[in-house]
Amino acid sequence: MAELLVAETLGKIYGTGDAATHALTGVSFVVAEGEFASIVGQSGSGKSTLLNLIGLLDTPSAGRVVLGGTDTSALRRKGRAQLRNEALGFVFQFHYLLPEFSVWENLTMPAQIAGQRVTGEDRTRVMEMLSLLGLEGLERKNANQLSGGQKQRVAIGRALMNRPRLILADEPTGNLDTTNTEAVYELFRRINRELGTTFLIVTHDRAVAQQTDRILEVRDGELVQDVRNDYGPPVR
Amino acid sequence: MLSFKIAARFLRSSPAQSALIIAGISVGIATQVFVGSLITSLQADLIDSTVGSSPHVTLLPAEGDTSVSGSLADEAVAAAPTDSSGDSLVSVAVPVRTLSAIYADGEDSVPLSITGGEAEGLDAIYGLAEKLTDGTYGLGEAQVIVGTGFAEDYGVSAGDTLPLLLPSGQTGEFEVSGVFDLGAAAANDRLAFIDSASSAEALDMADDQYSAIQMQLTDVFASTDVANELAKSLGVVATDWQTENEELLSGLAAQSASSTMIQVFVLVAVALGIASTLAISAVQKTRQIGILKAIGMRDAAAGRIFLWQAALLGAGGTLGGIGLGYLLIWGFSFAPVPFSVSPEPAFIAISGIIGMSVALASSIIPARSTSRLDPIEVIQGG
Repeated sequence: MAELLVAETLGKIYGTGDAATHALTGVSFVVAEGEFASIVGQSGSGKSTLLNLIGLLDTPSAGRVVLGGTDTSALRRKGRAQLRNEALGFVFQFHYLLPEFSVWENLTMPAQIAGQRVTGEDRTRVMEMLSLLGLEGLERKNANQLSGGQKQRVAIGRALMNRPRLILADEPTGNLDTTNTEAVYELFRRINRELGTTFLIVTHDRAVAQQTDRILEVRDGELVQDVRNDYGPPVR
Repeated sequence: MLSFKIAARFLRSSPAQSALIIAGISVGIATQVFVGSLITSLQADLIDSTVGSSPHVTLLPAEGDTSVSGSLADEAVAAAPTDSSGDSLVSVAVPVRTLSAIYADGEDSVPLSITGGEAEGLDAIYGLAEKLTDGTYGLGEAQVIVGTGFAEDYGVSAGDTLPLLLPSGQTGEFEVSGVFDLGAAAANDRLAFIDSASSAEALDMADDQYSAIQMQLTDVFASTDVANELAKSLGVVATDWQTENEELLSGLAAQSASSTMIQVFVLVAVALGIASTLAISAVQKTRQIGILKAIGMRDAAAGRIFLWQAALLGAGGTLGGIGLGYLLIWGFSFAPVPFSVSPEPAFIAISGIIGMSVALASSIIPARSTSRLDPIEVIQGG
């Protein structure tokens, strides 16, 4: 499979001089198109920092990120914003929906940011997305009127709307109960299988990581393990 | 237009906050519109009562001469400075003869300041025809028009005969053809107008000899410049109302300055109100802006959200303020004052433009801080 993401000796240092903290050091790995992978590590290990660098939300102190063949180190803020919009989908621990807007508007926001008109095809896609997410009939509801699980599913839908090549999920079920957690991962899997979307999921939960095809483990800012999953029994 | 849509939605999501700031801007703009219109109308009224019924520039004989020629009126129109479209600033130039006369009624006697000339010319300078309270306007031979103050003091009305002791030493009998009210007590008490022939006879002047050329200008505030120019080019003595009313003009200037100060402080208050509201809104919406940026919104588009918010608040407040300003002006029409406040469309348009500009300027700081916001600050903040 083609390389989608290349992380090359990524490093991140916060602060300077004696106060400098090395959050990430020399992390390198490659993710191919269609992979369903996870990044695991304890709290404070640097896994979210890694995700933020890959997601072009933060800039590395060392190394570079190549996304879909584009060397992002050469991009300025505008170019990084455009690439985030076109190639990436984000799902965070908090849903980060826009409470002033309806479910429909939240779902079409990435397309609107890209300056696209909402076409008939988009409408069909939103309806399909709502169906896929189990949110039929809620499109006109305000984001604030949904339950926690529903909000997170809308956030997943928003991440998928622009047909991104890579979905980055940072503790996407951190605020959900067990039932909703399982539903979300089943959804991720289904999207990966049916749409071929690549997933990189950050989690501190090894049980969650065990459901992915590849596990990258970060400890004290370094990548200490990168293994294919043998689908052993959950560690929970 | 996404920035506009988000701005409108942000404002709608905090209706009380939006309504309060729009009300604040409205009050500010209404104050600006009302105070500005009030001062403008008050000054226009003062200037009109000062120079509306009197000459703006008067040409007098050069030193050594006792009279001017009637043709000097046409020469003055031709020699006067012109406005931007090339028209002479002198709108009317009328040759007149001025004299003093004494009215004696039994034991009472009172001096009158008399201006003699053609009825049409005098009307052009003093607006007598529309200011008559008694009689009909016209100046036939041996006719006089007197003021209301004089007419009331001495029981004179149209049709009466008035004996006047003239400079020639003779007493002339004049028929009162009308009584005027120029709106100023001094003029109504002491001013009178007689026909041209009688004035020539009283001063022993030939038909083409006059005491002065009285003029009105299209721009009353050009009187000093016009007087100086005509004195130089025509070799005569020229007086103007601005030089003769310096105290009034400095009073008007002080009034304008204080009015401008009030308006500036009101606008500063409006600007601070909008800026503080937008700053609060920028903080309140940091999370939303951060996520919008995370999913690809560019810095400039994010900054425009607050420019649009300011534009919407400014437009709402300005329109509301102009409406409220008109309401105040209408309410003022019932106040017991001797002048009316009339809204000046140009001034109100300028107030509206200033209101919008202030609103947009107030959004610069929140727009810039929003534009610079890094999405990672929000994502890491949780």
